[in-house]
Amino acid sequence: MIIVAALVALVQVSAARNGSPSPITVAGMTAAALFEELASGAIGGVRNGGQSLIAIPQLERENARLRAEDVAVAQENARLHEEVTAYSQQVALAPRMAEYRNSIAARVIGFPPENESRAVTIDRGTRNGVSRDDGVLTAKGVVGRVIEAGPFTSKVALITDFTSNIPAVVQRGRYWGIAKGNDASVRLEYVSQDAPLKIGDRVVTGEARSFHSGALIGTIIRIERGDTNLYQTAIVKPAVDLSSLDRLVVVPK
Amino acid sequence: MAGVYLALALLAQVELLHFARFRGAEVSLVLVVVVWYAIRVDARRAAVYGLIAGLCEDVLATQTGAAWTISTTITAILAGMLSRGFFADSTPLVAGITFIATLIRSLFFWIVMAIEGYPAGYAAIHFHQALWQALLNAALVVVLTLAIRYRENLPFR
Repeated sequence: MIIVAALVALVQVSAARNGSPSPITVAGMTAAALFEELASGAIGGVRNGGQSLIAIPQLERENARLRAEDVAVAQENARLHEEVTAYSQQVALAPRMAEYRNSIAARVIGFPPENESRAVTIDRGTRNGVSRDDGVLTAKGVVGRVIEAGPFTSKVALITDFTSNIPAVVQRGRYWGIAKGNDASVRLEYVSQDAPLKIGDRVVTGEARSFHSGALIGTIIRIERGDTNLYQTAIVKPAVDLSSLDRLVVVPK
Repeated sequence: MAGVYLALALLAQVELLHFARFRGAEVSLVLVVVVWYAIRVDARRAAVYGLIAGLCEDVLATQTGAAWTISTTITAILAGMLSRGFFADSTPLVAGITFIATLIRSLFFWIVMAIEGYPAGYAAIHFHQALWQALLNAALVVVLTLAIRYRENLPFR
């Protein structure tokens, strides 16, 4: 015991003479630091836990407030997105509105119950100036014509409906025909056999009951020409995506 | 309650199901509700229910005249006449009846449309669409009956 004590004393004295901490001091400091660290952490945890326990009601209130704010922000975000979409659609329709002075902006609000016809219901009726046979357009081209006009709503037969018949002109060459609805496409019928139709030709409306001339119906994607037929027929892909209609322009004639 | 189901079915039919088409056909929730009701009551009540449902569809549709009214009423009467012949909660039977009812209704619908002057000659498109609709309706009935059975914890029959 005396020897160990003497040895420790010697080490300490030697270290003190050198001006550096002895290995025993270093070991002791390290152990103490570790202990202090653990103790400090435990005490801090208990203290924080206590504070947290005390703050729970306030935190709950704050959490509820933040959740409510989150919902409100999400709703605001959705509304702003909708406004941006509506604005961009209105901007796209603006040239049409300027082109036709009496035009009426409308929105699609309904579809046929069982897809038995190609038609849509719009939110404008006779009280807004819509009447039967008015043409309906989007920024991209022809949608169809009004076939029933009620006081507050109207029904529009799309150009792809089987009952739709619109006088049409192939823009390159001014070849006349009748654009008939054909479910997913439009058939341009009664075009003279002499007309050199080409795939990609643009088909526009002719001046008639529902439309002024020049509104784009679509482009020719196929030509059916029989040697014994009096006329040729072209299959036209509508310029407007009729499956995703939203904002339209009704053009009273 | 049957009126509420019909109103909800009509609303979904006009506003939502348009976006859930499959190969040009969409589920006829209205017909499913009509058949569902018709096979649980007598033919007279079924006819009245079918008449109201068809009339509502004609009001909401375009250029159909009375086609939905006539076709849905006839279908409801036929389904109502069957109501005493089997258990109305049998999944395969109800699905089968819905399948046939869809085709019969479609047949009468296009006959009336042709009489009213709608352009003829698209039978292939309509038949194809009617077949898909019949399949979709039958599938919906199977799902609905299984869901109800699961909820009521009844054995499959």
